[in-house]
Amino acid sequence: MKYILLIFLMFVCIFIGFIFSKKYSLRANFFKAIISLCQKFDIEINFSRERLKNIFLNLDDNIKKNLKGIDKNYISFIDKETPLDKVSLFSNINFLKEEEKDILFNFFRSLGRSDLESQSKEIKNYLVKFNEFSQKTSLDNKKYGSLSIKLGVIAGLVLIVLFI
Amino acid sequence: MLEKILPNDIYSILKNRVNINSINEIRLRSDKPILLQIGSKRTFLSYGGTTSNINDAIIASKIMIEDIIFRASECSIYSVNEQIKKGFIVTPGGMRLGLGGDLIEENAVIKTMSNFSSVNIRLPHEIKNCSLSAFDYLIGEETIYNSLIISPPGAGKTTFLRDFIRQLSDHNYAFNVLVLDERGELDLGTKNCLGSFTDKISFAKKSVGFENGIRALSPHIIVTDELGQKEDIDAILYAVNCGVKILASVHSDSIESLSRKPLFDEIFKNKVFQRYVLLSMRNGPGTLEGIYNENFSRLRI
Repeated sequence: MKYILLIFLMFVCIFIGFIFSKKYSLRANFFKAIISLCQKFDIEINFSRERLKNIFLNLDDNIKKNLKGIDKNYISFIDKETPLDKVSLFSNINFLKEEEKDILFNFFRSLGRSDLESQSKEIKNYLVKFNEFSQKTSLDNKKYGSLSIKLGVIAGLVLIVLFI
Repeated sequence: MLEKILPNDIYSILKNRVNINSINEIRLRSDKPILLQIGSKRTFLSYGGTTSNINDAIIASKIMIEDIIFRASECSIYSVNEQIKKGFIVTPGGMRLGLGGDLIEENAVIKTMSNFSSVNIRLPHEIKNCSLSAFDYLIGEETIYNSLIISPPGAGKTTFLRDFIRQLSDHNYAFNVLVLDERGELDLGTKNCLGSFTDKISFAKKSVGFENGIRALSPHIIVTDELGQKEDIDAILYAVNCGVKILASVHSDSIESLSRKPLFDEIFKNKVFQRYVLLSMRNGPGTLEGIYNENFSRLRI
């Protein structure tokens, strides 16, 4: 019975480490997806003046997956189902900091509001900021992502040693 | 479409307390009462429906106007900027929004319009058989006469053109009709709106559309709305010289005032049009005031 409990504790520690690690990878993948989204906007807007809704609907599945529902929430705003506010836009997202949310919200609020040249410039400006976020989150993911799992394993082992 | 662009509360009032199908225009001006044009009658929009008392009218805000324009562009202003530069947006379904605001110029080139202060939403109507009373007068032995529809703004020129095109198809005149829809207003997107024998070139300048259309689509008839510039007249003359028949429209309140416009000198001198149809708002949009031949002799009414 004691050994089963220890194995269970070990799994719990690794799982907690995994949860922390997951948060870092979610953030890294999210900002990579936002960058891909911006690049797609810039291309589609400049070359075919495609409407925002169509751009969102035709996104690559991998980008959609990593955007964690922000695309669907924006489409709901386009369809007049929800207002455009931070609560509605980030309804499925709990891994972003407030500062990041503010910048993302301003980005989404600026979409589709100006002529081609201004819109393209605006996207490029935001892209600079999102690249900074992406580099930081990728670095954090490399640094702390694997570290969290390792710490979970170590914590589990320490507990086992202590209990034995 | 109106549902998609208007604020929910305004749409709800129009839907529940006003007959939407009877509205011709909705005018919103920043910090001014919302005005409805219903037939030849103008009235204010109130929370109870319509009112003649300005104090009960709903006041349009700048944010409301900007939001309507944003939504009319399907949340993508950049995609309709070429239209905005000309002062309007046409939504899918042919609803035209006339815009008031500040034109932004750079090096004498209009870049866009911003700081929107007013919007005039014109609701298109498909009034079936509205052209029937003039139909026989515009049909010749083998094809139609070159015809010009004349009316003041909002008096039913576009509706007349749309119905005439459909009537041609309904009367089994299998002419190849090219609709040159410079502002995207003629085709409402409804079933059989433009009949069965119609090709369409949208959002092209008349000069480009006429030349490309004649070369590529070999039309018997070209239908186009709102002649107004020298290059439009040149395009008409080019088409007539190619043997293509023309059905067009122009803003004016009478043949006399039209004939005073120097732009139309060549048209009148060469008797390009054999039929003139005059419409007015006298008994509501689309009132037929008269049909005239190339010598301006009255054929009807």
